[in-house]
Amino acid sequence: MNRAMIKRIVLIAVVGTTLSMVLMLSSLVYPHPLLLVVAMSAGQGIALLSLALYLLAVALDLQTGGGRYYEGTGPVDEPAASTAEP
Amino acid sequence: MFGIQSIQQLLRAIAFFCAAASLLIMVWYLVRRPHLHRTTKVILLFGLGLLPGIVSLTGNISGFAYTMTRPFCGSCHVMGPYLRDAEDPKSTSLAAIHSRSHKFGEDSCYHCHADYQMFGAMTTKMNGMRHLYHYITEYANTGPDGEGGPKIHLYKPFKNDTCMQCHSTQAKMYLETHGDQVDAIRKGDVSCIDCHSDVHPLALSRRAAAKEAK
Repeated sequence: MNRAMIKRIVLIAVVGTTLSMVLMLSSLVYPHPLLLVVAMSAGQGIALLSLALYLLAVALDLQTGGGRYYEGTGPVDEPAASTAEP
Repeated sequence: MFGIQSIQQLLRAIAFFCAAASLLIMVWYLVRRPHLHRTTKVILLFGLGLLPGIVSLTGNISGFAYTMTRPFCGSCHVMGPYLRDAEDPKSTSLAAIHSRSHKFGEDSCYHCHADYQMFGAMTTKMNGMRHLYHYITEYANTGPDGEGGPKIHLYKPFKNDTCMQCHSTQAKMYLETHGDQVDAIRKGDVSCIDCHSDVHPLALSRRAAAKEAK
């Protein structure tokens, strides 16, 4: 699993959470029955899925030494192309 | 403080604040696209986990509480006649009289139409989903107050238990006025609304019109 893929998973999670927050906010501002049902079912489902995706991305990132790579505190399994020796 | 006068309003305010904060974090990430540093991960954990969790919890509770109120029931246009009658200070219908009682207040629809049993709230909300389905499939494109749509009816006969939550059949005055029908009322053989039929006059008149149209 490369870093680009991990960042893409995080991006999907962020977009999903944004969508669910917009749904939930709109149901708070305009509590119409249909909107409430959508926010309380689909909105929360998307938010939960996004959180699961984010946790997966963090786990994968830690597994590949992402933390050490970004903090610059140790070797990583897959160094970025720009920093690799020619 | 901040115009908050009830627990429901407080929960809504918390949900609103947390949703706005979560959205801010999401927008920040989408605009800046930072590396997944430890700080970024923690900030995203707040934005993706903690804050949406609080929004779900408080939003569900306040949303559920709002679904019990009369404005929510009246938000579907087919409920217009029912809502207007219940809120009419001059109306003498049972719905209006009960709505004027402080014990019912804004939740007057729910008090009389909710199931009265252990999982009453759950079954009532399941019925609410059924209402929504029928509204979308049968009433969404009907005229003002649902004219032109099928007649509105209860899914099952109105239970005396609902009335008996407040009107005790043991009370002296009740026994005096209901005489030998008390046992039949308690068993459900005689319905309260058979005699006290002026519940929703506008709805009843519409029901009669619907029958004639058939």
